Amino acid sequence: MRPLSDSGTRFLVAPASILAALALFGLATPGFLTLDNGLSIAGQIWILALLAVGQMFAITVRGFDISVGAVAALSGTLGVMAANAFGLPALLLAVPVGLACGTVNGWLVGRARFQPIVATLGTVLAVKGLALLVTGDGQAVPLEAGDTAELAFDTVLGLPPLGWAALACILIAHLVLRHFVLGRRLLMLGSNPEAVALVGGTPWRIEMRAYQLCGAFAGLAGALMTARAGAGLPTEGAGMELQSIAAAVIGGTALAGGRANVWAVLAGATFVQVVLTGLNLSGVSPFFAQIAVGAVIIASGLMDTGLRFLLSRLSRTFQQKGTFQ
Amino acid sequence: MRIKRPPAVALVCLGLFLLCCLLVPRFATFGNIENVLRVAAILCIVACGQAIVIILGGIEFSFGASVALASVVTVTVLPTTGPIAGLAAGGACVIGIGAANGWLVGRMGLPPVIVTLGTLMMASGTAAWLVGGLPLDAPPSAAFSWPARGRVLGMPVSILAAMLACLALHLLLAHSRIGRLWYHVGANPLAARLAGIDVARITLLGYVVAGAFCAVGAIILTSRVASGQPALAPNLPFETIAACAIGGLPLSGGRGHVLQVVFGVLTVAMLNNAVVLINLPVAWQLVLLGLAVLASVGLQKDWAALKRLAGRTAR
Amino acid sequence: MPASDEALLATGIAKTYGATCALRDARLTLRRGRVHALLGENGAGKSTLVKILVGAVTPDAGRLDLDGAAAAFGSVTQAIHAGIVPIHQHLSLFPELSVHENLSAFALAGGSGLWAGWRLVDPSRARGWLAEVGLDVDLAAPLGTLSLGERQLVEVARALSLDCRVLVLDEPTAALNAGEADRLFAVVRRLCANGTAALFISHRFDEIEALADDVTVLRDGRTVIDAALIRRHSREELTHAMLGAGVEARPERLCARAEPVLVGRGFAGRRDASGGTDVTVHAGEIVGLAGLIGSGALTLAAWLAGAQAGAGELSVAGHGFIPGDRRRAAALGIAYVPADRHAEGLFARLSARRNVSVSALGHLARLGWLRASQEAERIDPLLRRLKLHPAQPEAEAATFSGGNQQKLLIARCLALPGLKAMVLLEPTRGVDVAARSVIHDAIREAAAAGLAVLVATSDLDELMVLAHRYLVVRDNRLAAELPQDAPRAALLSALSGSMAA
Repeated sequence: MRPLSDSGTRFLVAPASILAALALFGLATPGFLTLDNGLSIAGQIWILALLAVGQMFAITVRGFDISVGAVAALSGTLGVMAANAFGLPALLLAVPVGLACGTVNGWLVGRARFQPIVATLGTVLAVKGLALLVTGDGQAVPLEAGDTAELAFDTVLGLPPLGWAALACILIAHLVLRHFVLGRRLLMLGSNPEAVALVGGTPWRIEMRAYQLCGAFAGLAGALMTARAGAGLPTEGAGMELQSIAAAVIGGTALAGGRANVWAVLAGATFVQVVLTGLNLSGVSPFFAQIAVGAVIIASGLMDTGLRFLLSRLSRTFQQKGTFQ
Repeated sequence: MRIKRPPAVALVCLGLFLLCCLLVPRFATFGNIENVLRVAAILCIVACGQAIVIILGGIEFSFGASVALASVVTVTVLPTTGPIAGLAAGGACVIGIGAANGWLVGRMGLPPVIVTLGTLMMASGTAAWLVGGLPLDAPPSAAFSWPARGRVLGMPVSILAAMLACLALHLLLAHSRIGRLWYHVGANPLAARLAGIDVARITLLGYVVAGAFCAVGAIILTSRVASGQPALAPNLPFETIAACAIGGLPLSGGRGHVLQVVFGVLTVAMLNNAVVLINLPVAWQLVLLGLAVLASVGLQKDWAALKRLAGRTAR
Repeated sequence: MPASDEALLATGIAKTYGATCALRDARLTLRRGRVHALLGENGAGKSTLVKILVGAVTPDAGRLDLDGAAAAFGSVTQAIHAGIVPIHQHLSLFPELSVHENLSAFALAGGSGLWAGWRLVDPSRARGWLAEVGLDVDLAAPLGTLSLGERQLVEVARALSLDCRVLVLDEPTAALNAGEADRLFAVVRRLCANGTAALFISHRFDEIEALADDVTVLRDGRTVIDAALIRRHSREELTHAMLGAGVEARPERLCARAEPVLVGRGFAGRRDASGGTDVTVHAGEIVGLAGLIGSGALTLAAWLAGAQAGAGELSVAGHGFIPGDRRRAAALGIAYVPADRHAEGLFARLSARRNVSVSALGHLARLGWLRASQEAERIDPLLRRLKLHPAQPEAEAATFSGGNQQKLLIARCLALPGLKAMVLLEPTRGVDVAARSVIHDAIREAAAAGLAVLVATSDLDELMVLAHRYLVVRDNRLAAELPQDAPRAALLSALSGSMAA
């Protein structure tokens, strides 16, 4: 007899948390459990969801990327500038910009063997500074190439078109993680970094890919951010890196690496957004939401540790039985 | 650990100093140098705390937010308690946050990044919530402004405090039992536990002492801005981590010397000052800081590899 | 033997790290269909030679011939494609992935391709490999749910997936129990019968004699016995070739048994275990706790030292303490050397002296302040006594060889204030023979000075030269107690008990 794998448990935490939060806010705030509010949350989660999915790739290979918020701001701003010069589709330039930042992070972590926190800290500072420099000290850059409000806010079949686009990107992330060779390599690297070279892989290249994916998704989030705001906001995105880590960890991504599920991470992002919206509607100070996000981050860490502890205990019991044969 | 040669960062720092003297107008004036030192003083005090956490193998992101919270708390309670108790209350908040971090990291085994980012959010949220998001001015008084503006024997209090902080850190790291245990816990926590060290308690104490250093910095900074600001010093954790990294402390823990912290801080302060003096946009401070962190850590990587080779030779 | 028999020939291999010469002039000849043992003490260049064979390290000089043609490997992948398949001591498997994915790891990690499903190996072939190594597990099961021994067999099964011409087994039995090791050996023999050459590295003479046909011995980076038939050489000859030194004698007999010092009652290795295990170690006595890996011997020893939580009562010299309270145990005078030097013992970044003094800090500090001169005064004589080489107490622990790192852990034990008992887990695992005899001498001296010593090890040779009394652990409980003069055969049968019965 084989024990149950823990994957199920870890990835169920986020959906369960959403249900609990819905119940709680539904009881506390009468206007919370309405269709309108549900749709409004469904329209809002995508920036965070994209960042969290990107973050998930970095965490899967036992890293962190604390530069995602800054990268999203920079790439969104540069995207707006390109769109103003060459037309609206050039907004997607945000993605290669994010990819470039991710490549720098990935090279530093994978090839130059920097600790993820040092490498991404360095890029946070540099990228923040760059975003300020290209905009002349943090001025918002209005998007003049076209109106994106329709794409960002008018719902089609329940979601705004850009929401559908983000969902498609997340579906691609799922395919990459679950079904592409690359995803399998990321999981291998997170699971046992030393072994990857021994079975003929190139660890630093795989690690770099993880940060590149993370950067590309941050770029997507930046494009979405500017499309929603109708302007490039070079100072936006502060605090988003924290929310993205929280969402990814609540979504069951193991901090020890090797375990991740895109849909659970999406649920994690939804949970964070439900909490923020719920607090907003229940009329507490907006600053209180910040405190709540902090609490959610720590709770996510506690959850990860608790699960690991619990499951290692379980598996030890099972393993001892296993040696009997 | 005893350092026989001056740390590499000392040379970098000296080189940068000479470069600034030669190239940056108005850098080498007495007033400007004192200004650099004053800015460096607060950074240095907080970086001393950061160094302890980094030696423990952790990282502290919550310093900026807890300094902001301290300033808000100080100014809020100031009218009823008077300046000294007010500043003490602010400092106590910082130490309390340090203790919470230490408990979560040491006792609950959470990753320091997650914990301190979480308390960062909570502290800055609380600070903004207390004053409704807007700065709150403090009633001026001599005692309140003494930490920032006072002088003892002609020396600004803040610079004196920084020197004392460095001395205290040195005594802790090199000559105290607890400091020695921080190195052990940072170098290999599991081995430390099996050697009979109470890892959770040592970690907790480390974060509390780090919080105490930060509290001193918070008091001086609050006194200087003479107001409670929920967005005070948002870059403080980055700058202190950068100072430690530039100084050559490995973020994986277990190693570090007070001189490395001092020179790291001076390097950061000079970079920031030079950017202002040559009239570059302030954003260059961030860019340069980021590049300096990456460059210094990258250079130290190579040196570490060389050293390892040398070690192999000796075997 | 005809030259065409040679699967792999390495001649004149040299490799220098910095100024250290790891290999000077090594020669290795592997023949098809034969198992070849590679012997050498730590530092003789064994692991460097293996790394060169499997393509992880490029040699400075020398020549590799694979099936008569010159070969040079730039990477592990190239070596694997050439048919040299390594099986490492530390498993190169992925606990979070399924057995099927692990069996397909080479295809997944190397080469190009997009869709992972296309690169997984055919399930029926995968099941065939598993059957060949005698494993019956679900392909979809996560590897992490298998026991260590089963995982090792998965690794061997994965080697079957490759066109394997040379199988390199680098201490593969370290984590296996006797049954699993036998299964592994059977698979290796079967592979060899089909013309594969195998290189087998192990520290255990029993296994080497059971499995290997030929033997090569390295000393100081040179081949001193080259591809000789193993039955032509006795153990003493091989050991002598490895060291150029004699074999240790058994310890002196204990005259009378002193009072009990370290007492543990009611150890239960498993929750469902019926009845507990009691262990008593007396002053001046070295108790050898013998057990195969996985038997629970190490867990029992760790429990006695307070490093492992669990049921039962523990006391040292009459003072009780709670299992798992390592801090209290150390304060009461129980020193402990954990089994895994790097993960659990060493502070690699700190100086040698600090690695030792950590246990004595309470003694060296007054009111929380350390007295540095006292530290050197107290620690350095210990390091001299243990012949730390190089004798640089300020050097970082990471720069020392494995044997000298282990000496640091032993010195840490001896430096513990109020030392009453020592619990040593695998005290000489992966340690060169010179350091081994220094460590053994230190253990004997400690016992002679009246300490209670418990040595838990899976190395029978070590037990035979150290212990005054053997306790044999099997299936998480005490299976037998044997006197000092028990013959090796009696110990062996007690260790493998159920198999023999």
